[in-house]
Amino acid sequence: MATTAKPVVGKIKRPNIPSAGIQVPAVTTFEQVDNEILATLKPSPKWFMGLGLAIAAMLVGASAWTYQIYWGLGNAGYVPPVMWGVYIITFVFWVGIGHAGTLISAILYLFRAGFRTTIYRASEAMTVFAVMTAGLFPIIHIGRPWKFFWLIPYPNWRLLFPQFKSPLLWDVFAISTYLTISTTFLYLGLIPDFAVMRDKETNPIRKRIFAMLSLGWKNTDREWRHFAKMYMFLAAFSTPLVLSVHSVVSFDFAMALTPGWHTTIFPPYFVGGAIFSGFAMVWTILIPIRKWWHLEHYVTLNHLDATAKVVLFTSIMVGCGYLSEFFIAWFSGVAPEQEYFWNRVFGQWWWSAWILLLCNMVFPLSLFSQKLRRNPTWLFILSIIINIGMWYERFVIVVPSLSHEFEPWQWTHYTPSWIDMCFLVGSFGWFFMWFLLFIKQMPVIAIAEVKEIVPPKMKNDHGGHH
Amino acid sequence: MQGVLAVFPQLDAVCDAIRDLKAKKVPKVTVYSPTIQHEIDDAIDAPTSVVRVFTLIGASLGVTFGYWVSIWSSQYWPLQVGGKAIASWIPYTIMGFEMFVMVGCLSTVAGMFINAQIPRLVTNFGYDKRFTHGDYGIWIETTPDKFADLEKTLKAHGAVEVRGER
Repeated sequence: MATTAKPVVGKIKRPNIPSAGIQVPAVTTFEQVDNEILATLKPSPKWFMGLGLAIAAMLVGASAWTYQIYWGLGNAGYVPPVMWGVYIITFVFWVGIGHAGTLISAILYLFRAGFRTTIYRASEAMTVFAVMTAGLFPIIHIGRPWKFFWLIPYPNWRLLFPQFKSPLLWDVFAISTYLTISTTFLYLGLIPDFAVMRDKETNPIRKRIFAMLSLGWKNTDREWRHFAKMYMFLAAFSTPLVLSVHSVVSFDFAMALTPGWHTTIFPPYFVGGAIFSGFAMVWTILIPIRKWWHLEHYVTLNHLDATAKVVLFTSIMVGCGYLSEFFIAWFSGVAPEQEYFWNRVFGQWWWSAWILLLCNMVFPLSLFSQKLRRNPTWLFILSIIINIGMWYERFVIVVPSLSHEFEPWQWTHYTPSWIDMCFLVGSFGWFFMWFLLFIKQMPVIAIAEVKEIVPPKMKNDHGGHH
Repeated sequence: MQGVLAVFPQLDAVCDAIRDLKAKKVPKVTVYSPTIQHEIDDAIDAPTSVVRVFTLIGASLGVTFGYWVSIWSSQYWPLQVGGKAIASWIPYTIMGFEMFVMVGCLSTVAGMFINAQIPRLVTNFGYDKRFTHGDYGIWIETTPDKFADLEKTLKAHGAVEVRGER
């Protein structure tokens, strides 16, 4: 079995190895696709260990939530005027992570980018679980989580409707639409694969479950014709949705007059950052999967190379966003803005700002090297660095602005409490618990789509396909 | 329901069989394929999917609802703020857009379900498990008196198995 589709032999070609029309040459038959991808569903000791760790981390968060509900929101580390802290930082962080999945499945589908085929399923699942994680934080933050449904506009005994001019309500609509559409996208893509699993399964209970999940899918020409059209429309809808969701999240900040927030660059800068962190998380989950389940000939070095180019591009994009913020603060001549940005980089919060600049602007420049773009170990390390950097990006946006507003007598400090940190740990546990459960029940690579790029058997073999 | 089911291991064989059946004007032909194959689409030459109609209707209803619910609630519970518009269309575009996407997508999915005729309760008739793995198939809904002729045609194009089901 080949470990890579197109190994780099000898000197690396310059300027580049084409990665747009990526195929999987080591995968030759439909039966191989079925057998190898379905083999990933067998649990292994590493999987059980990972799941155990994730559940333990999730329980840390759950315990903190129980404690907070009992003792009240005052246990979070908020000190006026810093009334947004780890909860909102982590909310924005996870919404950002959730961007790569739909970008890969929708935007790259419309652009016919070949490298999406073998990575989109894992990314879509990542999106759904990341948005599920993000959605918890506003609910945690309201203190009385059982009242969260008051945000939904419905006829009620209070005779009240929510305020549609509030960015927080826009968030409710944007995130719930995104979660609904991402989940729909994930499930619909799984239907043909559920049919494969239904027909391969020997356990009668699991067979029945897969039969229900596959909705009686039979691979008929009629099904494929309507499915293909639906998929294209869903991709077309999801493309502006991906761009809108983080733009709406950025409005939570940009609509306020707070120094460092009130800027028109936030929507593109947030979207770029979201794609950047989302792709980094795709590496964090896919690189171990491809290694541990021997899927190197599906998620090839060419695929990783192509994703690295997206990461490099979005790193430069967010880098331009950071520099533009400094330029605009200087150029505006507004004293509180200038004071705030100076304080961010050389004052009270210098350490967090430099973590962000190093992790998001400096380390990703290594991806100009083709050798590093094709080095999975480096990409995995870089993905962790980027995720740390992107969490700090949100920290730098939220905390320094609130702690250093217009009135000098209000300037203060912020230190997360142990409750805040437990929620952060718990969010990772919650996310990875769902993801690990997913990869053992459902194929992590789309079986039907991979078959599309595998040359079919021909009676009269003309030596080509399509 | 009764008919003939044929199994083909090769893509070009099933395409040839489809073209031949079309030339002979055989009605009620269903083709199975483990994945989308453009060669089969070309051979069938089916009309464009009507899923797009569901998309258009759903998206139009969604955008209308998004704007309507925001404007209606602002008018019903007006908040007077310094002469600013009570119903402001700029922020309500976010509601309009999100509902446009949400209802548009869900109605597209409903359109696919209706037109593809899923969910389906029974899959064991006129079907073979090999069609989800690697083989192609043709199912022709017909009467038993035509089974022999169809079997001959399908085998001539490379079907490895042809069976009548009733």
